[in-house]
Amino acid sequence: MNQQRAKWTIDSFLLYVLSFFLLWEWLRPVEQLAGINWIGLFLGFIGGSLLLAFLGVPRPVSVVLKGAYILFCIQFIHYGSFSGMMNLFLSHIIENIELILKGQWAELSNSIRTLLFFSLLWITVYLIHYWLMTRRNILFFFFATIVFITILDTFSPYSAHTAIIRSVVIGFAMMGLLALRRLTNAETILKQNRIKLKWMVSLAVFVAGSAAIAFAAPKANPIWPNPVPFMESLGGSGNTLTDETGGSGFRSDDSELGGPFLPDTAVVFTAEVEEEHYWKVDTRDEYTGKGWVSSRSDEQPLTFRRHVPPSLFSFTDEVPSEERTSIVHNEANYGHIQYPHGLERIEAASSYQYALNKGTDKITAFNEDEQGAPVSYSVQYKHPSFQSEELQNSSSEEAVRPFQGIANRYTQLPENIPPEIKELALDITEGQETWFDKAKAIESYFSSSGFTYEQVDVPVPSEDEDYVAQFLFDTKRGYCDNFSTSMAVMLRTLDIPARWVKGYTEGTYLETTESGKQLYQITSENAHSWVEVYFPDIGWVPFEPTQGFTNADVPELEETPQTPVNEQTPENTETPAETPEQPAAEEPTQAEESLGEDSTEAAEVTTESFLKTNGKLIAFIAGAVLFLTALCYRYRRKWLPFYYIFMFKQKKEDHYFPEAYLVLLAQLDRSGLKRKTGQTLSEYAKEIDTRFSSSIMSHLTAHYEQYLYRDRLPKDTWNLVKNEWESLMKKTPS
Amino acid sequence: MNQLHPEIHRILQNIEKVIAGKQEVAKLTLVALLAEGHVLLEDVPGVGKTMMVRALAKSMSAELRRIQFTPDLLPSDIMGVSIYNPRDMDFQFHPGPIMGNIILADEINRTSPKTQSALLESMEENSITVDGVTHVLEKPFFVMATQNPIDYEGTYPLPEAQLDRFLLKMKMGYPTLEEEIDVLKRAQAVPPIEDLQPVVSLPELRQLQLGIKNVYVDESVRRYIAELSAATRSHKNVFLGVSPRGSIALMKASQALAFMHNRDYVLPDDVQYLAPFVFAHRIILKPESRFEGIHTENVIEQLIGLISVPVQRHVAKYE
Repeated sequence: MNQQRAKWTIDSFLLYVLSFFLLWEWLRPVEQLAGINWIGLFLGFIGGSLLLAFLGVPRPVSVVLKGAYILFCIQFIHYGSFSGMMNLFLSHIIENIELILKGQWAELSNSIRTLLFFSLLWITVYLIHYWLMTRRNILFFFFATIVFITILDTFSPYSAHTAIIRSVVIGFAMMGLLALRRLTNAETILKQNRIKLKWMVSLAVFVAGSAAIAFAAPKANPIWPNPVPFMESLGGSGNTLTDETGGSGFRSDDSELGGPFLPDTAVVFTAEVEEEHYWKVDTRDEYTGKGWVSSRSDEQPLTFRRHVPPSLFSFTDEVPSEERTSIVHNEANYGHIQYPHGLERIEAASSYQYALNKGTDKITAFNEDEQGAPVSYSVQYKHPSFQSEELQNSSSEEAVRPFQGIANRYTQLPENIPPEIKELALDITEGQETWFDKAKAIESYFSSSGFTYEQVDVPVPSEDEDYVAQFLFDTKRGYCDNFSTSMAVMLRTLDIPARWVKGYTEGTYLETTESGKQLYQITSENAHSWVEVYFPDIGWVPFEPTQGFTNADVPELEETPQTPVNEQTPENTETPAETPEQPAAEEPTQAEESLGEDSTEAAEVTTESFLKTNGKLIAFIAGAVLFLTALCYRYRRKWLPFYYIFMFKQKKEDHYFPEAYLVLLAQLDRSGLKRKTGQTLSEYAKEIDTRFSSSIMSHLTAHYEQYLYRDRLPKDTWNLVKNEWESLMKKTPS
Repeated sequence: MNQLHPEIHRILQNIEKVIAGKQEVAKLTLVALLAEGHVLLEDVPGVGKTMMVRALAKSMSAELRRIQFTPDLLPSDIMGVSIYNPRDMDFQFHPGPIMGNIILADEINRTSPKTQSALLESMEENSITVDGVTHVLEKPFFVMATQNPIDYEGTYPLPEAQLDRFLLKMKMGYPTLEEEIDVLKRAQAVPPIEDLQPVVSLPELRQLQLGIKNVYVDESVRRYIAELSAATRSHKNVFLGVSPRGSIALMKASQALAFMHNRDYVLPDDVQYLAPFVFAHRIILKPESRFEGIHTENVIEQLIGLISVPVQRHVAKYE
């Protein structure tokens, strides 16, 4: 009875509570990934079992209680009534045992699965009880929890953002409490509650403090590329042509945006350009609240050869522009043409024809009724230089009127658009008169205000949630789709016509070709989306709201030279040929910021290529160094004495004697002749001397004792005993 | 250990002549004598307690006063009494047996607490007060008390608080077989005690006592002693641990032991050797631990193994 009561201490109660929460961390992802509805029942089972274990209820009683609970749950989940269950369940069990014996796991009935799951939980709870009370060590389970959570975080949609914090805090608290337990048990001295209380309070302070510091501290970006796409490409599933799932690469259906953007490094095309520019593929005009669709995609496509029909309208001739040509070499064939803003002509093998979808501005190529873009083609385009003055003048009420059709089509919004979006847009653009100023204000809004660029941990909006509202007010993290859609929708709430553009960024600079053009490589990772705003009398003007990206075509606000979009992406900073038109106004701090936010991409590229080339060598060197270090450490008692003998050989002063003596003690300890805690030096010396059948140690110890306990070190002590010390040191390794 | 101090060595040799074996008890007795403390011997009668004290007294030409404690013994029987002298028309003080140098208080637990406390007080204060006159006791002053642990009937066990007054408590123990044969042999011959010659004078002994104070106790050793006695207070089996007075006693005894070994500094070895004798009677175990058969000696032994011996200076002095 006495023992029983001793168990009901506050610390063991805490331990059980904490283990409950730690087990909960295992159930959370299960709930989310496997879609188990009755998670409360399982939690109840865990809690109840832990409570029974804590109370020390005799085993027969607890077995009966748990069994009854399980039966009740199975009845509740699967059968509905007890009487019906009794008959069915027994037969189910018999059937399923047969299935199990045959190994037909997939055919197991749900009730049996529930039963098995309960048994698993039962075993786990028992194990935890055993770890807590008998082993007094939870490290293994804690470690397993962390591994479990991190693996799920990496390879499944489950986001362990807060779970990892919770688990670490719980785990550390448990380990601290168990350490106290082990101490009280081993020492038998600390049995007072005050000490326990002190321990717990300081433990809580430590855990909370370190967790808070860890949470608040700046975190380095991952230096390793996300392994998932890499492994997928290894597995041969990296075929981007058919890749329509998830957010990987380029996709044609944008009606349901959100979820992680999982880029792979598959090369889509390379391009020789005079001046870097974005590549357009598609535009969208209708926002659904979840994503984008095209309102007129079913119109008859317009076929043409070479000269692009005027339906593909970019901007008027009044915009000052420059004729340029880029050459595209397709690596993956999507069937469409990537083209720059202001496209005029497409040149390829003469047999090719092109079809322009008037609803989406998508150009597909076909060759004798066979779809597929040419392997190589060149595009001639007008590179615009939009004048901010003109843009600012072009939004007067009168100017808009003739373009009412466009205005209506590109200011469409779903009926249930949350009103907060408009309120926010009005807020951001307060004091701005012209469309251009308003667009610029919204564009730059994203570079601050707590938004972060994030590719993986991006949720899909729930059924009754607006994609834009979720990003603007809730998550504030996302990739290009989030930023561009949000900007377009906000502009539309202000009745400014805007459309959503899909395509690729300029890519990664490779080299300068002989003809003086710059060669860029565009991969699936460079898939991008941005915004175009319609200005009457001018045309479509691109904007780049996504953090860390720069579109050379985006016009600048002259009054405020350092708009954040001027920053260069890390890809740009790698290019040696900096374009003269690249805005020179760069704030170093902002540039750094953007580097930090976007360096994942750069790091992926550099670490990957570096590892590819030098990986084996690095691994070999690291392995060899590790091995040698381990060897040196393992056999340190063989060589350390000689190192010390050498070190002390030159020392003449007496005060080296105590040091040398301590070195000798440490060396003897390494040799397995450990001094017990309560053993005095002279007793120890006798033991050592019997071992080596000499009297050196006693002699040395007598001198050391005089130094230590009498504070007396006669002159020349060290010189006198040096040889003895040396001879003993030499004996130790054997 | 090292060689013994020459005078101490002579005393021990003298005692050795009288009783076989028992060098350790003799040595510990000398430790208490040098540290100006007193000894409580706990043992059955007939193992040579009296003989040893007599030899000790004779070796230093001191007079041995023996007080046999009985239930009807009164404090005045110990301290002395003032008797009216009709010739001088005045009270004259007749000193009791306590006014000697070496006192053997036999079977101290047989007398009433009142008488016990009279003895213990005089041991503590080194003086007695009779009829308002304080008489300082002569130094060296050494009490060896004995008590019989077997025969508890009609005894007044010493309260734990008063046991504190004894520097050391020890057991004599039975002699080994060889030693007993030796004892028998000696019993046939002339009792050697009669031939014993003094080897130190009382003033010399007093000098030795004063020399103890000069034995150096290092900071680290002081800390070790303090840690030991602090550990007794938090041990799970202990109801009442060692008081700071116990720590002082251990330090003094260690100094005396170091001195006996011709050393002018205390080693942790000294502390470890003496701790059971100094601490055992200052610790009260919990009743349940006592029933489990745990002795205070076990506790002390355990703690000695647990508390780390200082082997390193925290602040290097020679830099």
